[in-house]
Amino acid sequence: MTLGAAPAAGDPRILLPPGIRQDAVIYVRALVSHPMYTGMSRDEQGALIREYYIKSVEITYGGQRVARFEWTSGISRDPYVAFPLRATHEAPLHIAWTDTKGKVYTQTAAIAFGG
Amino acid sequence: MEDERSNTRRAFLRAAAVGIAVLVVGVRDALAAPAPRDPGPGDDMPDAAKKVLRERFGARQIKDGHVSLDLPEVAPDSREVPVFIETDLPMEPDRYVKAIHLVVDHNPDIYVAGFQLTPALGKASIDTRIKMRRSSQVRAIVETNTGELWWAHKLVYTTLNGCV
Repeated sequence: MTLGAAPAAGDPRILLPPGIRQDAVIYVRALVSHPMYTGMSRDEQGALIREYYIKSVEITYGGQRVARFEWTSGISRDPYVAFPLRATHEAPLHIAWTDTKGKVYTQTAAIAFGG
Repeated sequence: MEDERSNTRRAFLRAAAVGIAVLVVGVRDALAAPAPRDPGPGDDMPDAAKKVLRERFGARQIKDGHVSLDLPEVAPDSREVPVFIETDLPMEPDRYVKAIHLVVDHNPDIYVAGFQLTPALGKASIDTRIKMRRSSQVRAIVETNTGELWWAHKLVYTTLNGCV
């Protein structure tokens, strides 16, 4: 199986539901573009493509770390993850994705009530 | 000479007809017989997967229950298999789910992901997409702050190798 042109890594996104009420558990969806190479596939010239993937995701809410994910290349390309969060207060939700080249992709979304 | 040739041809046709009949009967019998169930990659954990669990959890017992694992029975695209893991265990300051671990028995990287959680989340669930090399058991292991381990597993059939 050959892979298409290497997609650019980046474009981190956080999707929040509308109309967040205080103390409700919401589902946060997070997405970043990344090839997530396993190191087992080959390019069009037949050369092995080196392993290259998001290895960790750090989630902070109002400056407090609420979750941390450890990933391998077994997570699909353009990794998507959704997780719950209790919206206790209005504060920024910050997500940082770190890949195996040490590059960090960050995104912030404001948890605000109403809307 | 002409006759001889047509005799040969007749003999050949007769033999072929008998052959076809035998085949037809054979196929019919095979269809009638209860199809042996493809054992597939069954519930038995391969040694490599057992080793991964031993390294991570030692001799701690992993019990069935409290975990719901939602996965397709047949993955249309093994590069993107949707996984939803949920647990009914409490998410309170003193009793909570500390981590959800995702293991695929027949993947090159058996330990696919670990999700470390805190009570601030209010609930414990993870929705994501994984790659699968071939048909395999997928296991979700939920670890509490008190050291309990609960799991659920499900067999997922795949078509192509999705580990790209």
